[in-house]
Amino acid sequence: MSLLAATDVVGGYARDEQILKGASIRVDPGEIVVIIGPNGAGKSTLLKAVAGLVTVQSGAIVFDGADVTRLDAMARARAGLAFVPQERNVFATMSVAENLSISAFLDPRAEAARVAELAGRYPLLTERRHALARTLSGGQRQILAMAMGLMAKPRLMLLDEPTAGLSPRAADELFAAIVDLNRAGLPMLMVEQHAIEALAIAARAYVMVAGKVSAEGPGPALADDPQIRRLFLGG
Amino acid sequence: MTPLAQAILNGLMTGALIAAPAVGFTTIFAVLRYPSFAIAAHATLGAFAAWYVNTRLGAGVPLSVAVGFLFAALVGGSLEHAALRGLRGAGALTVSIGSIALNLVLENAVRFSFGNDLRGYDLPLAPDLRFAGLRVGAQQIETLVFAAAIMAAVFIFLRYTRFGRAMRAVADNPDLARLKGVDPERIAVAALMLGAGLAGAGGVLIGLDTSIDPLTGFRVLLSVFAAAVLGGLGSIPGAVVGALALGVAEELALLVLPATYRTGVGFLAILLMLTFRPRGLLGERAV
Repeated sequence: MSLLAATDVVGGYARDEQILKGASIRVDPGEIVVIIGPNGAGKSTLLKAVAGLVTVQSGAIVFDGADVTRLDAMARARAGLAFVPQERNVFATMSVAENLSISAFLDPRAEAARVAELAGRYPLLTERRHALARTLSGGQRQILAMAMGLMAKPRLMLLDEPTAGLSPRAADELFAAIVDLNRAGLPMLMVEQHAIEALAIAARAYVMVAGKVSAEGPGPALADDPQIRRLFLGG
Repeated sequence: MTPLAQAILNGLMTGALIAAPAVGFTTIFAVLRYPSFAIAAHATLGAFAAWYVNTRLGAGVPLSVAVGFLFAALVGGSLEHAALRGLRGAGALTVSIGSIALNLVLENAVRFSFGNDLRGYDLPLAPDLRFAGLRVGAQQIETLVFAAAIMAAVFIFLRYTRFGRAMRAVADNPDLARLKGVDPERIAVAALMLGAGLAGAGGVLIGLDTSIDPLTGFRVLLSVFAAAVLGGLGSIPGAVVGALALGVAEELALLVLPATYRTGVGFLAILLMLTFRPRGLLGERAV
């Protein structure tokens, strides 16, 4: 059974807006699933619909066997979905330690153990624990944002363009961190502009065009598809 | 030199009086994103509640300040929540105008209940203290200590408690806070209570320094607003710095201007700050 199944999702930011026009995707346990496509295709909107930040007019979102379509973002976070936004994904005026602390709001008793575990994985969380989040570099901020998502011990991570605005080196490091987390057992659903790199690590991928899925398949296979390459991967 | 030093000392004392309401004003702005002018009525409510327990029930100053805080928080904060909640979707300007209406209603409720007379707290008489040619009232020092204690308590609450951090998180990024499981609606109620309570405590301190009447809060409203703008709307450390700076500026202005122009200093401070440094002295919202 799929961990996440979004079926025929129609919706947008306003009540009568339809950016998504019947999009269907699924994530199976342990997978990295990537959504690629041109700007304005609705990739990030679909991710936000899964996270509960976009009004779903019709269709269904089922997570771990439960229909979460009508649940709000807080309830979905409680259910185990961790959404890491592309922008404004940390509390800029709070320290790194405070960002992690507030991310354990739903389960404060687990905070110390989670921080210790994440500090072992990402040393910068200890090295810069007193620094305000707004003083971090782009790559460090993304690591913090992912760590904040991990604080809630999610069962599925939703990443919205995690490498946007990063230097090539920082982007490579972030992809390595994502693969590392996935190998530790965390499934991921990711929207990414660096499509070639993302497809290389994806168990499965979807190509979205105009609010719908237009192609799907294993990530490397899609990356090798001549038509996909020509249309979406710059040849 | 002594008049200058005395003016600075007086200014710090004056600034300390408006610091608590300014922090209340800026807290509500940071979380709910509208300037609440009902803060003036909350200050008056707190001042009268404290006056009642002080003069009728014989409560001491610390208990009176606590009662002023609690009464304004519970009554003022919940009334503001109930009255203005439905307007929030219409934007900050609409809610802000609603807060002016609420201020008028609450101010007149106090007027109908207690009349327009000036009232003073029952305080022991104590001679002024003198040092290095400067003079300061014993009550002023006590008021300063209370103001500092209130600021310290707010700082500790926001920095070290789970709920205080959640309040800062909502002020910083409400959408992300929601994703982390923080309920912005609960935080909004808490921010209103804290803001109104701080205004109420500030109203008591003003009453301890002078006297109270139904316009006690309204008289300092411009200074409170100016202090919050000076420090950067939404910044709590900024509101404290802004209040102290404004207090000193007002007292220094009295060295060269007649007392009738004192209020103008607040207007001038707002004008200059919004023209040259609209983000305030401390620059960025940081509850």
